[in-house]
Amino acid sequence: MNRLARTQWAPLLAATVVAGVVLSFTTKQFGSSFNVYTILQTAAVYAVIGLAQMMVLAVADMSLAVGGIASLATIVTGNLYQVQHWPIGAAIGAALVLGLGCGLVNGVVIAATGLSGFIVTLATGTAFTGVAYGITSSIPYSNIASVLTSLGQGRAAFFSYLLLPAIAMTLAVGAGFRWLPTGRALLAVGGNKDAAVLSGISQKRAIVTAHAVSGLLAAIAAVLYIGVLQSATPATGSDWLIISFAVPIIGGTALVGGEAPASGCFVAAVVLAAINDALIVLNVNTEAVQMAEGLLIFAAVIAGKLGQGIRTGSGRSPQRPGLGARGFGKAAPDGAAPGLGLP
Amino acid sequence: MLKTRATDEAGEGRPGVTVTRSAGGMIERVREVAATQTSAIGLVILITITWTVFGVAGSGFLGSFNLYSIGQLAARDAVLGMAQAMLIVVARMNLAVGSIGAVCTSLLGYLLVSAGVPVWLAFLLVALTGVLASLLMGAAELLTGLSSFIVTLAFLSAYAGGALLFTSGHQYQISSSIISRLGNGTLLTSAICPLVAVAVVCGVLCWLLYSRNSLGWKMLAVGANERAARASGVNVPRVVLAAYALSGLLCAVATVMNASYELNVNAGFGSDWLLPSFIAAVLGGVALTGGEISVTGILLAALFYDSLQSGLTIINVPSYWIQLPEGLVLLVAVLLDRARRARRKSMRPRDVVASAPAPVVVP
Repeated sequence: MNRLARTQWAPLLAATVVAGVVLSFTTKQFGSSFNVYTILQTAAVYAVIGLAQMMVLAVADMSLAVGGIASLATIVTGNLYQVQHWPIGAAIGAALVLGLGCGLVNGVVIAATGLSGFIVTLATGTAFTGVAYGITSSIPYSNIASVLTSLGQGRAAFFSYLLLPAIAMTLAVGAGFRWLPTGRALLAVGGNKDAAVLSGISQKRAIVTAHAVSGLLAAIAAVLYIGVLQSATPATGSDWLIISFAVPIIGGTALVGGEAPASGCFVAAVVLAAINDALIVLNVNTEAVQMAEGLLIFAAVIAGKLGQGIRTGSGRSPQRPGLGARGFGKAAPDGAAPGLGLP
Repeated sequence: MLKTRATDEAGEGRPGVTVTRSAGGMIERVREVAATQTSAIGLVILITITWTVFGVAGSGFLGSFNLYSIGQLAARDAVLGMAQAMLIVVARMNLAVGSIGAVCTSLLGYLLVSAGVPVWLAFLLVALTGVLASLLMGAAELLTGLSSFIVTLAFLSAYAGGALLFTSGHQYQISSSIISRLGNGTLLTSAICPLVAVAVVCGVLCWLLYSRNSLGWKMLAVGANERAARASGVNVPRVVLAAYALSGLLCAVATVMNASYELNVNAGFGSDWLLPSFIAAVLGGVALTGGEISVTGILLAALFYDSLQSGLTIINVPSYWIQLPEGLVLLVAVLLDRARRARRKSMRPRDVVASAPAPVVVP
């Protein structure tokens, strides 16, 4: 319980629950089981998007291509199913393999050139989206497999079926970081690159793995979203950039790497979805939602920084030397300006 | 020489000036200029190739109408590239260029159309707003010690939402003749838009800043090595704030340029500015690590980027395929820049010694 109270998202979750209870008494809609279902449906997709970004944040890198990969995966699923008449299972399989491949490309380029993930994924993400728009001539596919529809729209009272894959992904990623040697290697590289390399862990391999898994998760999020949207459009992913950073950061993922709280990601996704929904229920402009997201990221990062100081005091996460809060994990030997992470 | 670069090594004289070795004759000087100007020379070659290919393959590419519209777009993209470069130089970045653009566009539209403010006053207020919006991000970065990436990402969302809230999706039809003459008039010949002159003036001012002004040198020094700059007495926070302010000012200039040819504006403007701003800066040879800028490079890179886009449209590449080359151009630019830097390092053995413990791989 003590540990729970100390996590970064605990106060935010508490505030959301209190606000949620108040809202469900003051407004008719918010507490209704249909509305809760809508929140959870959105939260499920947000959670997987957040996990995709968290994978790369764990190795102190970042990916601006989460949305681009999702766009491409959406189109491939839609195209193979509707135009090529593949069975839906095969179409989804192909999309996931493609997502993995796209992530692999990002990882290999970054590891081979030593460039920052920011600029590489800005470029590749645009290129992936470009291919998706090119394949479809900007026209969405509207023939959606019933499996995806029943997954995306299905519910038992307030429980959206999409929560099942989202929870499964959260558990799998959490377990991977905790128990798999590869997962621990990723955290080691993210936490302290030099120490990890000295203890025989390949930094390049860690970066490639993180980006590949991130690509796979982005593709999974895209497939889930097809069912929600009832349409496979290349516009999918165009507005995922902020969400992909907001979810893991609010969930307590450090930007300097070395941490990957999957459960925090999930909670943050629910909180963000609930806030979005509450603002809409309260008839606040949808634009205000966008503003709120930006301010929330900011608040969360500052809270995380303050929290880090407290946790360091309690000895839970020892201070890592050389990793300034400002940098992107570029632990420059002379403590120089952090920059964008180029060597 | 429009290329300025700060050096890390102590005792190299003023920061922000290319090191010229006294020993070494004419040939070495020429070789050095060629080595530091590779991005500009490469871009001139690229532009020549692009113009030749599209001039032959597409009808009307070299016509005055098409050159006019290339200049119109390239001028804005060059200013966006400079806005991005202002912060890249101090080893930071500005993801919110487009959102500041959205805020400035909304304000410009409101002032001119709804409030009926005179044009000069509207320009002044928009410029002031751009500067303040960017300064706020700078202050937030300095106060919290967070990375510029995350600060500007948060403000990207907040400003874009704020602009939409402020205008509630309203369209503004700007009817000022001064503005429409700026964006749709002609300069000297019918192939040149007056906006090109605006971009060139901005470029010259930037060049003066980085090669003739102590603030510019300090910015380069902070970008090259923040700790060394602080140790040598540079007021780092003030220099960083100045960089944010200049970036915001250039965003405001880009906004006015954009509005001057679109005329019918809304708060959605700026949502697609992030990519051109990085393409112009990175392709132009601005080092992502900071401490280096090439104003000529930025101007040429913007010209190349918009020539390519226009050329692809002229040879009837469907509009939905246009986004792919954008991404590829940036990727190739980054990889080329990387290769160029690696070669320059090997050409200058002393630098290799100076940066011997440089880490091989990334964050």
